[in-house]
Amino acid sequence: MKKFLTGAAICALSTSATTAFADVSIMYPQWIASLVEPAIEQYEADTGTTVTSTELPVDGYDRRVAVDLAAGTAADVAVLDSFMVAELASAGYLEALEGPLSDWDQFQYYMPGLLDVVSFDGSVYALPTDTDVRMLWYDKSNFEAAGIEMPWHPETWDDVLDAAQKVKDATGADYAFLLPAGTKQAEAATMQGFYMAMLGADTKEGERNRLRNWAEGKWIGASPAITATANLYHEVYVERELTEPSINYATDLSSAVREALNNDEIGILASGSWEWACLFDCNGLDVPSNREEIIGWTPWPGSGAEGAPATTNISGGWAIGVNAGAEDKEAATALLTAIFDEANFKKWTLDNGRMAVRTDISESPEYMENAFLAQATELAATTTGRDTYPGYQVVSALVQDMTGAILDGVDPEDALEEYHEALVDEFGEENVMTLE
Amino acid sequence: MQKSGKSWVSPWLSGSVPVLIVAAIPALIFVGVLLYFTGWALMFSFTNLELYGRKATEWSFVGLDNYERLFTRRGFLESLWTTLNFTFFSAIIGQSILGFTLAAVLRNMYGGVRSVLEVSLMLGWLLPDIVAAFLWSATTSKTGLVNQLIVIPLGMEPVNFLNDYALPVVILANIWKGTAWSYLLYSAALDNVSKEVVEAAKVDGANAWQRTRRVILPIIKPHIGTNLLFITIWTFTYFPLIYALTGGGPGSKTEVLSIFLYKQSFGIGKLGYGSAISVAMLVIVGVMSLFYLRLLKEPE
Repeated sequence: MKKFLTGAAICALSTSATTAFADVSIMYPQWIASLVEPAIEQYEADTGTTVTSTELPVDGYDRRVAVDLAAGTAADVAVLDSFMVAELASAGYLEALEGPLSDWDQFQYYMPGLLDVVSFDGSVYALPTDTDVRMLWYDKSNFEAAGIEMPWHPETWDDVLDAAQKVKDATGADYAFLLPAGTKQAEAATMQGFYMAMLGADTKEGERNRLRNWAEGKWIGASPAITATANLYHEVYVERELTEPSINYATDLSSAVREALNNDEIGILASGSWEWACLFDCNGLDVPSNREEIIGWTPWPGSGAEGAPATTNISGGWAIGVNAGAEDKEAATALLTAIFDEANFKKWTLDNGRMAVRTDISESPEYMENAFLAQATELAATTTGRDTYPGYQVVSALVQDMTGAILDGVDPEDALEEYHEALVDEFGEENVMTLE
Repeated sequence: MQKSGKSWVSPWLSGSVPVLIVAAIPALIFVGVLLYFTGWALMFSFTNLELYGRKATEWSFVGLDNYERLFTRRGFLESLWTTLNFTFFSAIIGQSILGFTLAAVLRNMYGGVRSVLEVSLMLGWLLPDIVAAFLWSATTSKTGLVNQLIVIPLGMEPVNFLNDYALPVVILANIWKGTAWSYLLYSAALDNVSKEVVEAAKVDGANAWQRTRRVILPIIKPHIGTNLLFITIWTFTYFPLIYALTGGGPGSKTEVLSIFLYKQSFGIGKLGYGSAISVAMLVIVGVMSLFYLRLLKEPE
């Protein structure tokens, strides 16, 4: 019965990840297979060590890896969403890497700013695989049908909503403005949806467009920026019905989005730089040669309120770390460096249109010649990061819950109040503030 | 009753205390594990334990806060209502009545048709939940089978069923998946109704409805009770098919208690609150079971 669910779920999650008999083990989400798998083969051929790999679906990967590490059953090497690294390191689940990597000549090329993201208390706990920027993608055929001028450069939220409205009226597309929401896609809804809007909601001054006020050390329970963003969700999903909500809960979300794009059902999609490959094939194998005729992109505009930034951006990315509980840490580190070896890593970065995290790759001629990467890198110049203070994961989940409630028809005011209440429940009145 | 207390035990077992003790060990371990998990959930329902971060190790007791939030925060009561709807329509109305009807109709049929129908019923039951979820998702999507075969040929706009009718789709999927059980159980029960009794009622002038209502149903009443008890408990705590199919959405339209519990415990990471939800579910299922058990005992 249900009373056992929590315990049983942990047991079930744990047992399938136990890899006691292998020399070294690794766990990774499917989309990164083309980086990890060639390196594993090479590593096995070079060292004769057997690698047990656990390839997992993207859905729920974050939860799975956190629970496995907490239960002590995770693989020796683990691919991680970079925002989790500090929190997992603070709990003692990851191995500090400077020592083990001191002999590795390629460590010097990692960009310091990106190593900060995967550091805790001054030590590096994982190596970044890529970084990203976020933007609004649009389907060119639908924009043409709606008579919208391209290249498209919206300056305010209203411009975006108007364009989506035109697409909806002209083509009847089901997802005229697909703004990620709800809890099923987890962090994606916070990053690609809520954060990107909120960062441009209010005036730039005084860090008002954030979830946490770092100067005061408090989470923001209510602010004009959060309210404006909640209202944007209400307008997209309820008032104007610019997107059918169910896609946020699809059985397989990324294939649902690919199918929708293929059927010209998408107008605007709020997502990130990886979609250049992932809208067709995340592993970069089956990508049409005329991509730029099918889709275009534009930076996310600010809301248009007085003093709001013209465009917004936030960067994340993934990383690979070594389990502090790994039996043979030397073998685990060797596997890690095999994955990041220049030949393997550079090929993957270029094939998939990923944004480089190392200067030896970003300054290579092949990278600089790539028009998409060059433009995306421009966006990265003014990017920002998440409020990844311990507790962020809960805050992010509460944000997702709020967007889900609004999409479900709950009045934004009520949803905002519930968000504030839940923050206070979690962190206490003294750690939550209100911005007027 | 007291006198016959020992008579069912095999003499070989009852004669040897060591054998009895050895035989009891698995049972004791089993009961111990059950109690351990229940106790675990009960204890942590009074704490602010979390899955990750500081409160994962430095949790503290918060009294009845979690239970209070079941009623003061949005989520639990709404999910309870969704769960009751889901259970009532898919298990009690759908699986049970459809299962009985099929059992009553098919038992008078022989040969190919019956086999085909039985196999198709079984297929739904045997198919793994995740496969079933993909199947239903493909069938009810805007470009899916239902739209291609029925809606579009009739000249109507294709409908995205999972968006517009999420709960009915999930209920239908569960009826499709679970009817085989009720069918099997009722088939066996109907085999136990002796032909003579039914024939006698017929001779007395009872029509088909009266025979079912006055003769057959009272005879198989214990089976109905048992069946309802099982499928109510299963359906009330059912998770995989709904989660894979809709993830509780759109919004919270199909967010049954098991999904709400999962979201709170593993999505947001509030294991303490999740434990309180699981204890509440345990109480609700317990009360429902008592109701059915009384129904079973009631003398006719």
